[in-house]
Amino acid sequence: MPDESIRTLILATAVLFAGISGFIIYFVVLYRNRQLKNKQEQAALQATFQQELLRTQIEMQDQTLDYISGEIHDNITQVLSFVKLSLAMPKNTGESEKQQKIKESRELISQVITDLRDLSKSLSYDHITSLGLSKTIEIEVERINKSGLIDIAFIPEGAPYSLGSQPELVLFRIFQEAVNNVLKHSGAKHFMVRLQYQPDLFNLTLEDDGSGFSDLQAGKNGSGLKNIINRAALIGGSATINSSPGKGCSIIVTLNPFKQQFYSGEPNHQNRFS
Amino acid sequence: MSFIAIVYCFLLLVAWAIGIARYSRLSTAFKILSWSFPVVFLCNIISPFWVDRFGNNAPILHVESLTDYVFFSATFYYLLKSKMTKRIIIISVVIVVVFVVINAIYWQGFYKKFPTNVYFLTQPLLAIFSLLLFKEMLMYPLKINPVKQSAFWYNTAILFYATTMFFYLGLSNYFPEHNLHDHFFYYFWYLIFYVFDILLAVAILTDNQKITLENA
Repeated sequence: MPDESIRTLILATAVLFAGISGFIIYFVVLYRNRQLKNKQEQAALQATFQQELLRTQIEMQDQTLDYISGEIHDNITQVLSFVKLSLAMPKNTGESEKQQKIKESRELISQVITDLRDLSKSLSYDHITSLGLSKTIEIEVERINKSGLIDIAFIPEGAPYSLGSQPELVLFRIFQEAVNNVLKHSGAKHFMVRLQYQPDLFNLTLEDDGSGFSDLQAGKNGSGLKNIINRAALIGGSATINSSPGKGCSIIVTLNPFKQQFYSGEPNHQNRFS
Repeated sequence: MSFIAIVYCFLLLVAWAIGIARYSRLSTAFKILSWSFPVVFLCNIISPFWVDRFGNNAPILHVESLTDYVFFSATFYYLLKSKMTKRIIIISVVIVVVFVVINAIYWQGFYKKFPTNVYFLTQPLLAIFSLLLFKEMLMYPLKINPVKQSAFWYNTAILFYATTMFFYLGLSNYFPEHNLHDHFFYYFWYLIFYVFDILLAVAILTDNQKITLENA
């Protein structure tokens, strides 16, 4: 074999092997950089998620305290004052009248005890974890309906399953935000809450028959609506808001239950962020 | 059978044994790949007897060129995520099968010639699939080091095999034209397959369905 041909051949082979090796090394370096970038992005995402979750919890606590303060002032204090006045009977009150007033006072105090028990339930948002989203919303709906501020219809569909404590907390806050918006701005008489539990899809639909709003109005005063959209995105879902003047408002939050594993906050799932 | 060929067959048996020993832990892609070793082993065992009896091993190589492509593309089918690429792989297998038959009948006789045409078709396809898998790996990186990933070793093996085989086939025209001795050729051929099968064995050794899923 001529020397020159051998040299050319060896050179060509060496170039080929060097080319492949270079490519593989370049790939490994690129891959490691991508892994590092992904890790940093996930850490940032987790930090944002935790921050938003904390904000959600604080907002819920604020709202709960407002509600409790209102209940104590408007309901419990009033009833107890009435009981106090009722029991401060003149000396010449007849025996049967005394018994009647005592009976009425006992009934009123029973009512206050029941109200306080309901209030104690509202003091902690941990009950979302223990009761689940569906039951918590149902209790909240009953409470609001009792207040007579608005008529809320609660429609659960499908067998409820857990979406994870943190996503459920965020969903409950979305529900509260929507109720707040309706009570403050829409002037609606009816409100509908629908929870749809399907095997591969979860939907939370919130609809009212209030004044509605245009896109322009939503842009100007819609920080609450933006919050709803951002929070739905934060738990891996999406929120669609439809409204037009005079036609009420509809909010649909859609989630993939399998995707919620990332946001559930369970220890085994949190590893995904590490 | 030469010493270098015996060592090669031994290498194939070792790779197959690794595949069988780790079979339950392997993903579908590597379960399929592990069955390519006994097929190649069988071809290599039959080959010398065929040469003794009929003068060449062309029929064995025709069959081997097809089985190689089917096994490797099936492995890619299960490793790649893109539905479009998966569809292309299925179509390519059908085209290659038809091409192998037509080639064996009309262009490079089944009993007479080495099926270079088939390799000229399949090697670039395998190289493309390999590059596509590298791209997908970059798009969806796992949390574990790439050198601990079976897909990385398999991809490296295929890229090495496809490009060096292509190089080898290119030289196969250059050598006869310049009346050069084919010793280098012979050793280079086995060198390609030694490296290729060692890389595949490493891929099978590193593959673990559970770890891949946990780190996705």
